[in-house]
Amino acid sequence: MVIFTTVCCVLGCKRAPTEPAAAQATEQQVLTDFATVVVNPNYQDLQEKSNALYAAVLKLDSVSSDANLATAQTAWREARDPWETAEGYLFGPIEDFNYDPSVDTWPLSKTELDSLLASNNPLTVPDIDALPYSLKGFHALEYVLFTTEDPANLTTREKKYAVSLAESMVNTFTALKDSWEPTMGNFTGQLVHAGTGGDTLRYPRRKDALLAIVGGMSDICSEVADEKMEDPLIHRDSTLSESSVSHNSTRDFRNNITGVSHAYFCHYQSSGHSLSEFVSSKNIALDNKIKSLINSAINSFDNISSDYEQAIFTQQVQIHNTQAAIRSLQDAIDNDLTNFIQANVSD
Amino acid sequence: MKPWLGVIFCVSAVVVQACREPQPFPDDQRDQRLSGASNTVFDATAESFGHPFPTLSAHDLAVHELGDKQFEQTFVAAPAPVNSGLGPIYNNVSCSSCHHNDGIGVPTAGDPQSSLLIRISVPGADEHGGPLPVPGYGTQLQDKAVFGTNPEATVVISYIYQTYAFPDGQTYELRAPSYSLVNLYIPQGGMLVSPRLAPPVFGLGLLEAVPEEEILSHAYESDHDQDGISGRPNYVWDPVTQRTELGRFGWKANVASILEQVSIAYNQDIGVTNKYFPNESCAGQVQFDNRKDDPELPDSLLMAAKFYVQSLAAPARRNVNDPTVVQGQNLFSQIGCASCHTPTMTTGVNVAFPSVSNQIIHPYTDLLLHDMGTRLADNRPDFQASGQEWRTAPLWGLGLLAIVNNPPYYLHDGRARTIIEAIMWHGGEAEQSRQKVQQLSTQEREALIQFLNSL
Repeated sequence: MVIFTTVCCVLGCKRAPTEPAAAQATEQQVLTDFATVVVNPNYQDLQEKSNALYAAVLKLDSVSSDANLATAQTAWREARDPWETAEGYLFGPIEDFNYDPSVDTWPLSKTELDSLLASNNPLTVPDIDALPYSLKGFHALEYVLFTTEDPANLTTREKKYAVSLAESMVNTFTALKDSWEPTMGNFTGQLVHAGTGGDTLRYPRRKDALLAIVGGMSDICSEVADEKMEDPLIHRDSTLSESSVSHNSTRDFRNNITGVSHAYFCHYQSSGHSLSEFVSSKNIALDNKIKSLINSAINSFDNISSDYEQAIFTQQVQIHNTQAAIRSLQDAIDNDLTNFIQANVSD
Repeated sequence: MKPWLGVIFCVSAVVVQACREPQPFPDDQRDQRLSGASNTVFDATAESFGHPFPTLSAHDLAVHELGDKQFEQTFVAAPAPVNSGLGPIYNNVSCSSCHHNDGIGVPTAGDPQSSLLIRISVPGADEHGGPLPVPGYGTQLQDKAVFGTNPEATVVISYIYQTYAFPDGQTYELRAPSYSLVNLYIPQGGMLVSPRLAPPVFGLGLLEAVPEEEILSHAYESDHDQDGISGRPNYVWDPVTQRTELGRFGWKANVASILEQVSIAYNQDIGVTNKYFPNESCAGQVQFDNRKDDPELPDSLLMAAKFYVQSLAAPARRNVNDPTVVQGQNLFSQIGCASCHTPTMTTGVNVAFPSVSNQIIHPYTDLLLHDMGTRLADNRPDFQASGQEWRTAPLWGLGLLAIVNNPPYYLHDGRARTIIEAIMWHGGEAEQSRQKVQQLSTQEREALIQFLNSL
């Protein structure tokens, strides 16, 4: 019976070549909407939030009040949110042009930073751009904004450094956003036209583009569970936590996994045709499994109620549970979801 | 035992013995996709160079993953609680800063993403036959420095562009680089200069496992078959073993082992001292910080990073049965490319690391030195390699470079931007092959490129 049905399907397909296969159309929509509904809006949001951060730092430079420091700190956290979600799809120009290390290198080179601030080296934006990655970006700015309790103690050079850092970050995020903009760098086109030949060099097949998305989802799971969370925990050293100065680490981690959710459900401010929809049309059990694992992983962060730098000493069970939830998700992505793509996407 | 049972047992034993008579497995039945034999991975994405051997044990996989982390760590100026020891002078801040995605780098100098370093020496040889260090500089130029410290020099790269044509009218452009060193921290003339682009790091464990005898079996210094090709080995001083060894790695086969390569890269490229290179690269120079913190890299992390590189799998070939690819493969042999880019090697038996043991691999290199002509010459001898000789570069993974490292660059200094440019830069022993490519029809040339892109 199964064989008969299969034969009929094959024959049916051969008799109706002009009727587009639903799966093929959905693959294309998944890729297009991933770029236009998720990545481009995420980078747009990042650029806007970085502009707000720059404005807040300028205000702090102008008036070093407690309120302005708090506003700048909040703006730093809010700019960090879209950055961390975007780490759920860390491929393309963000890798090709080193945008990632130029704004998020860790650790900060504190010895060099002290030397720089103690020197007469100019601190304009071009000077900042010429510095090594470990002296700029989020963590350099975090250090200036979060290590003082009294903003009146910020030196003129520290504030100048912060202003130029923030402006340099705006420039980087603008370039990152533009690299995907269809009217500019158009990496979006690499996904939209994947598998159609022409000048589309990056993804000769749609399968390759879908695997790149899935690979990005897997990579961030591994990075969060096995590196960002694991290293401070296993070494019992809170200084190994990525955003330890601002105590933003748990929020960072959750946003990373939220990025996986964005990629799978094709959602960022609005929604589009998703990988979930594509999987569901062929294997609803697998889709339900991935959905459940994503939700479990994200929700498990609710149990880590302390700052991560404290939780590594006081909430190890909760951390282990969250790591286990993320690893289960990664396992399903690496095996079930990847195998599904390999088996169900032919071109 | 009943007698007839004994007969059955004997007959069965004879049959089983006969069935188990070992026979060579026919080459034409091997899966041509398996570039790294058992250690091949099926991934054609940007991550394709970064997978562990599929054959690793759980323990070895854990060490590999530790090494993976280490490979990506950014070092910072000492003193620091984490990753202390960058510089004081250096070329880059982490392994992955040069070997992007475990692949190649960018042929620029001075930028954070730059992956081109400059080997230097003065005429002559040291006590081991190696390059003679430049007084006050050593044998590698560090063009970056921690804040407040002077780099050794600034490297200025310029290109002269020239357009050429195939008989069918299709054109290609070659860019000839020149390098000048400015802002030298102390005056120094007469340096021999050799640019080297960071190469891909996958598959090295398999190449290291090829027995020396097998490599030497491809060496014909006298060109015995008079085909103009005469590969020869480089023998180099290995600071790890303190012996002269066969060189396998580096653009001039100037490094004997992965351990030496990783140790010297930490020391010379990043400025991080370690067990095998315990002195700062700037020891004795004015940039030396006089800190007593050596070795800066714990031995366990050095070994993890070494094992990471040693256990990176080779990516599978694609489209191996495509008729055009097969045609290109045949042309590759007929033209003579395969005389140096040896398709197949067999690793030796290694009971200590079974993953690399007895593997039939397809790296497309003989690991030997060949004269590549004056246009590619750096004119800087490196142990037994002359100024015109280069080691045959492995070609496995070649077709994935444009995906892993976009845009891709080819040859020792990244001067070539396409595969056809890289071919047309060949000279010396490869001159005849280059001329044959020049004469190929448009379709044949495309077939050759499609084959190379399938690797």
